[in-house]
Amino acid sequence: MNAHHDSPAPTWRRRARRSTLWSTLVGLGLTGAAAAVVWSWRDQLPDQVATHWGAGGVPDDTMSVTGMIVVATATTVGLLILFAAIGLAWGSSASTRRTTAAAAVWSGALGASLLLVTAGFQRGSDTPDTATLPGWALAVVLLAPLVPAGVAAFLVPGDPHQPAEEPVDPAAPRATLSDSERAVWIRRVTGGPGVWIGVVAVAGIVLMSLLTQLWVMLVLAAAMAALFAAMFAFVVQVDSAGLVARSALGWPRARIPADEVLSASVIQVNPLGDFGGWGWRVGFQGGRVGIVLRSGEALLVERSGGRGFVVTVDGAAEAAALLNTMADRARSDAAS
Amino acid sequence: MLWTVDPASDEPLYAQLVTQARLAVTRGDLTPGERLPAARELATSLDLNVHTVLRAYQQLRDEGLVDLRRSRGAVVTGTPADLTAVEEALARFVAAARQARLSPEATTTLLQEELKR
Repeated sequence: MNAHHDSPAPTWRRRARRSTLWSTLVGLGLTGAAAAVVWSWRDQLPDQVATHWGAGGVPDDTMSVTGMIVVATATTVGLLILFAAIGLAWGSSASTRRTTAAAAVWSGALGASLLLVTAGFQRGSDTPDTATLPGWALAVVLLAPLVPAGVAAFLVPGDPHQPAEEPVDPAAPRATLSDSERAVWIRRVTGGPGVWIGVVAVAGIVLMSLLTQLWVMLVLAAAMAALFAAMFAFVVQVDSAGLVARSALGWPRARIPADEVLSASVIQVNPLGDFGGWGWRVGFQGGRVGIVLRSGEALLVERSGGRGFVVTVDGAAEAAALLNTMADRARSDAAS
Repeated sequence: MLWTVDPASDEPLYAQLVTQARLAVTRGDLTPGERLPAARELATSLDLNVHTVLRAYQQLRDEGLVDLRRSRGAVVTGTPADLTAVEEALARFVAAARQARLSPEATTTLLQEELKR
């Protein structure tokens, strides 16, 4: 789009290439280093190492050391390819680049923690049968990778302020406001099918932890409950500053300054077809960032730098009209 | 919902907010249990003094439309009473007072006398 200006698309593509490159290398490095460590332990490990544990931490599956390393590395590489593809294709917004970089580092760290924890406490034992899994091991494997992932997310820079150079789309709707009139539009968005998916998922994990008596899984359930709570209640606000969509918990939050708005409009959203699900999403179409809680009416904001933002909200027409008017005002304020 | 204020209007700013909230409740845009925006946020967005917004919320509380609580802010409680009959009677009263060339003060005094009965 906007080919008559210096094209904004390559700017984000360069940023996406940079964050994808280093996060993929870090992910690969973490799993690779762990694989090298485990390989150096091979003389102290049983021929067949336990790789899977049933109820009570008793091993029920084994593999050769080489096989374990190959499987862990292949899984990591598969995940890295997936997240790199998402980041390169749809990383127009900083939030997407941040998420994919964090996911890449998380994948590498997960591969590393799986290898190190699994092999680590089997060192010196002759047979895998004696290798019972301590309860905390699962918690370490699941939680430890979140730390480097969080650091990676923090290291990806946010989008610089990119005021649009062209006027707001003249064909887009406008709010009827007098010149002196000030306005704000506020609406809550809650619920949708995602809430039920979340409730079922959390209940399922709690049930599993009760049945298997693996209490560390309750940590996972609590983490997921917090994630779903953050994802399925948002407040959307449009005023002279632009648009803010913030989770009821305060985070995550999307902010679009009025001077970056090219056009706001109403679209119909199909969560699975357009975004692959519910919650904070990246869309299949041009890497639009979406807060998608239900199907149907949504506010679409086309933004400078080739970015797009979608939020499913009732009364989106009123919000779109006001945002276009506020974007007009931001242009004339900048001109005067 | 959409909140607007126009400093160029004759109506006081707080009263403009009250009118909109009242209308939104009547239309069902604001339903019982719904929370009004935090006074400070609304004030920031509309470039108003926070006391202006608080005054509007207090007026809405006095009218029985919202409940003000320190912890939860302003929560919509009720639907406004149907004032159509009162407003019509008031319009007839004011018209009659003007026809009798009563001063606004005298008209108000008559109304107050009637309220005391």
